[in-house]
Amino acid sequence: MDALSYNAKMIEVRELSKSYADLRRGQFTALAGVSFSARPGEIFGLLGPNGAGKTTLLRILSTVLQPTSGTAIVGGCDVVAQPALARKQIGFVSANTAIYDRMTAWEMVEYFGRLHGIAPEPLRERMESLFARLAMNEIRDLPGAKMSTGMKQKVSIARALVHDPPVLIFDEATIGLDVLVARALLQIIAQLREQGKCIIFSTHIMREAERLCDAIAFIHRGRILTTGSLEELRDRFEEPDLEELFFGLISDNDQKVPSSKFHVSGLPERALLT
Amino acid sequence: MFFANIRLIFLRELRDQLRDRRTLFAVVVLPLLLYPLLGVLIFQVQQFLKEHTSKIRIVTADDLPPQPRLLDGGKLAAEFGDPRHIEIEIVPSSKSFDDIRSQSQADIALGLCDAVVYFPPDFAQQLARIRAGNDKREDKPENASPETQIIFDAARDKSRVAQQRIESILLHWRNSLGESNLEASNVSAIAARPFNLKQTDVAPAVRRRVALWSKILPFILMVWALTGAFYPAVDLCAGEKERGTLETLLTSPAARQEIVCGKLLTVMTFSMATAILNLASMLATGAFIVSQIQRMGAARIPLDISAPPISALLCLLLALVPISALFSALSLAIAAFARSSKEGHYYLVPLLMLSLPLMMLSIVPGAELDLGFSLIPLTGLLLWLRAFIEGQYFDVLRFSLPVLGMTALCCFFAIRWAVSQFNNESVLFRESERFDLIQWFRYLHRNRQVLPTAGQAVLLALLILLARFGFSLAAPQPTSWSIMAMTTLILLIGFVAVPACLMSVLFTRRPVHTLLLRPPAFSATIPIAALLAAALHPLLLWLNQGIAWLYPLNPLAAAKLGEIEQMFLAAPLWQALAVICLAPAICEELAFRGFILSGLRQGGRDWTAIFITSAVFGLAHGILQQSLGAAVIGVVIGFVAVKTGSLWPGVAYHAVHNGLSVCIGRLTVEAIDTHSILRMLFDSADGQILYRWPVAIIAGCVALGLLWWLKSLPSSPRGEILYRARPATTWYDRPIASRLEHQHDAA
Repeated sequence: MDALSYNAKMIEVRELSKSYADLRRGQFTALAGVSFSARPGEIFGLLGPNGAGKTTLLRILSTVLQPTSGTAIVGGCDVVAQPALARKQIGFVSANTAIYDRMTAWEMVEYFGRLHGIAPEPLRERMESLFARLAMNEIRDLPGAKMSTGMKQKVSIARALVHDPPVLIFDEATIGLDVLVARALLQIIAQLREQGKCIIFSTHIMREAERLCDAIAFIHRGRILTTGSLEELRDRFEEPDLEELFFGLISDNDQKVPSSKFHVSGLPERALLT
Repeated sequence: MFFANIRLIFLRELRDQLRDRRTLFAVVVLPLLLYPLLGVLIFQVQQFLKEHTSKIRIVTADDLPPQPRLLDGGKLAAEFGDPRHIEIEIVPSSKSFDDIRSQSQADIALGLCDAVVYFPPDFAQQLARIRAGNDKREDKPENASPETQIIFDAARDKSRVAQQRIESILLHWRNSLGESNLEASNVSAIAARPFNLKQTDVAPAVRRRVALWSKILPFILMVWALTGAFYPAVDLCAGEKERGTLETLLTSPAARQEIVCGKLLTVMTFSMATAILNLASMLATGAFIVSQIQRMGAARIPLDISAPPISALLCLLLALVPISALFSALSLAIAAFARSSKEGHYYLVPLLMLSLPLMMLSIVPGAELDLGFSLIPLTGLLLWLRAFIEGQYFDVLRFSLPVLGMTALCCFFAIRWAVSQFNNESVLFRESERFDLIQWFRYLHRNRQVLPTAGQAVLLALLILLARFGFSLAAPQPTSWSIMAMTTLILLIGFVAVPACLMSVLFTRRPVHTLLLRPPAFSATIPIAALLAAALHPLLLWLNQGIAWLYPLNPLAAAKLGEIEQMFLAAPLWQALAVICLAPAICEELAFRGFILSGLRQGGRDWTAIFITSAVFGLAHGILQQSLGAAVIGVVIGFVAVKTGSLWPGVAYHAVHNGLSVCIGRLTVEAIDTHSILRMLFDSADGQILYRWPVAIIAGCVALGLLWWLKSLPSSPRGEILYRARPATTWYDRPIASRLEHQHDAA
């Protein structure tokens, strides 16, 4: 918590861009100069339709992808220059990060705890409390292949929390969950905020964002259209309904920037091939 | 931390694989079942062949000679061989041979009989005449011995077995007839066999025993090490991608290198386990079968397949470590590229296709452990292992450095490839997209770059190699200089220069930059390159001689080359210079140092690009001995081209080098003796014209100086250096992007 007191911004993203070659669309720009920041104890909502660039952005934050240009600093570590340190600051839960079929819940979480370099005894204590908190004790010895989607998601969250990271990233984490499990997940996330975690929550479901997020950024076609707290946005655009607000922003933006012009830029293909 | 993570990942992957029933089946159960099953099968077939009764029809017009009797009461006489599994049917017939032949063909096809023996009419009378020895002049056709025919169908196993059985009996009968003939003439039977032939094998029992194993075991080991590495590798990379767990692992603190190392160790473990279990199962089955056959009291076993010595097995196990490392790294890199397990499995066959010929090369008769073979990956290692098993420890020691060095080098590159695959996000996050050829072409043209991509460079290289190979197969062997000059020019212009130029125009925005056609920044580099070629020429000639000593040309190829050389010498000098030095200098440079090198340099590593270009340049020269020398020259010219940023110094180098070779080929001993300058440069002892060694050394020093000067040249910040891909940064890519967009709009 010491680090938080003098580093007000836990996540700082500046002018982040990512483009890559695509056979059909030519040079495809997934992100075009995205900037935002997020503080500890804050849930930062990333809202956008499918294919808006949310996953690309969060993959860059988790150091799995390299940005074409721009910087991103997570918990004081640059994701390009210090990827290993940056990964230690992050717990990453995404629809794309599955769990191992042939490992039990306990083994899975233990494995990632060990990879984080936690000694066996503290790790065991940490895991006992995590399993109790997430009510996972009945699936402790169940292999991944036999779990339901909700159980898997719980294991993923335990896996992301095992090293007690200051930053948590949830990328479309409620996809495929039934109402009850999704509700429980949102509760867990709210609890994590109470503990002072900095949380990025990406979704395309407006209601989730409305319920949970302290700050919201609308992302569409690789650009952040607007950002601010829920109240700020409602005041600024004089539109109480978030969905209407978002729809209006998108149609405004599409009229300004024709899609073809935006998508096929002239960036050299080899920028990604190196 | 590094090793702790690798160990963690290794143990997890190992446990994960061991929990997978498919892997366990492929690695443990399959080999333990496969060989015993195969053994049983072979045993059954053997049994079948032994116990199957052959139906043989004997066609004869009249009786066979009375003494010695072939037939004994409707059966074959036992004294000429085992008649137990032969059932005969005697058919008296006086038809012509052709009728009997067609009748037999139909009956064998219907299975009525397996083979037919045909005795010509008057067989007995003719034999009697020969026995009486009335007419000793055998050159008269009517006095020739009668012909007995065995009619069979080689495409039918039963028929072939029948043929072998009856042939052996007939041969014995013939011997017996001959002996009785001699007896009738009061000549001892020994007269027909004036001496006996006996064989003494000096190979020690151990070597005789290992002769077979030493060829088979290393081969089997390699095949299983490859197969055993491939399936776990696909599951560990492509499989994890498919299941979505790879990204989970990538977001953990483990570094990419640690992940690769952990996975590599796992794959290696399975590769080695598969190889060892297969070997053990095979040896156990072999030993069991041998003991069974001996217990059954079967005569002799043609091949000694009892167990190889323990030392050989230990040596195999030691060698298994680098073999598995190599195959595991290769499999891992390929598996990392695949999007799904299904796609991964498709890549096994190409991998096998590439490595099998190298493995087979070691079994080819005449392949022996020498310096040449020991430098070929896989083949060298196999031959080295064979020498080890056979106990030729001196050879083993002598060639351990090249063999192990080459293997280590291959391992290093394979592992590096695997790591780079894991660091390449376009490989890790490859999405499946429907492939459409027309769309792809449109994409290539629409998105053509300033300079060619590495992929396009590789494509041109493959095209040139294919054209070269096809041309050498299709084009007739030149019989005169004019034909030869014509084919060379067609090949160079039509299949080397034109494709390079076409591809630059179609696929790049700056063909002139691609082909490095602009003049060099320092015009002095052109004469310097020419001088460098002259200065390096003596050393390169030595190198060529060394290569010829290391890999001697086979006599057939040497004779062919000799003919071509004669044609050269017969041609007018200006024509020879035009065809052998000017045309290749321009055409080959356009393709290799122009398009291919420019494209490969997009990877960002100049030296890697130079080496790959030179390897292709070497390969395009056809014969191995020429390829090696050409590859070395390719490195020098590649360096010159990269340093000067222009094609022309390379053209000058190439032309001078080839020109000197043509001119030296035309020097005669007399010319050297009469001109004092030539005498200072060349040594014409043994009728072979060579540079004197002081000349070569001085020239070599000059060449070093020139190369040093070239190295110290400032890189001209023009053209491709500006456009060369680097890890992208904003300040760097923006201006190009905007400029290109501008161009695009203008177009």
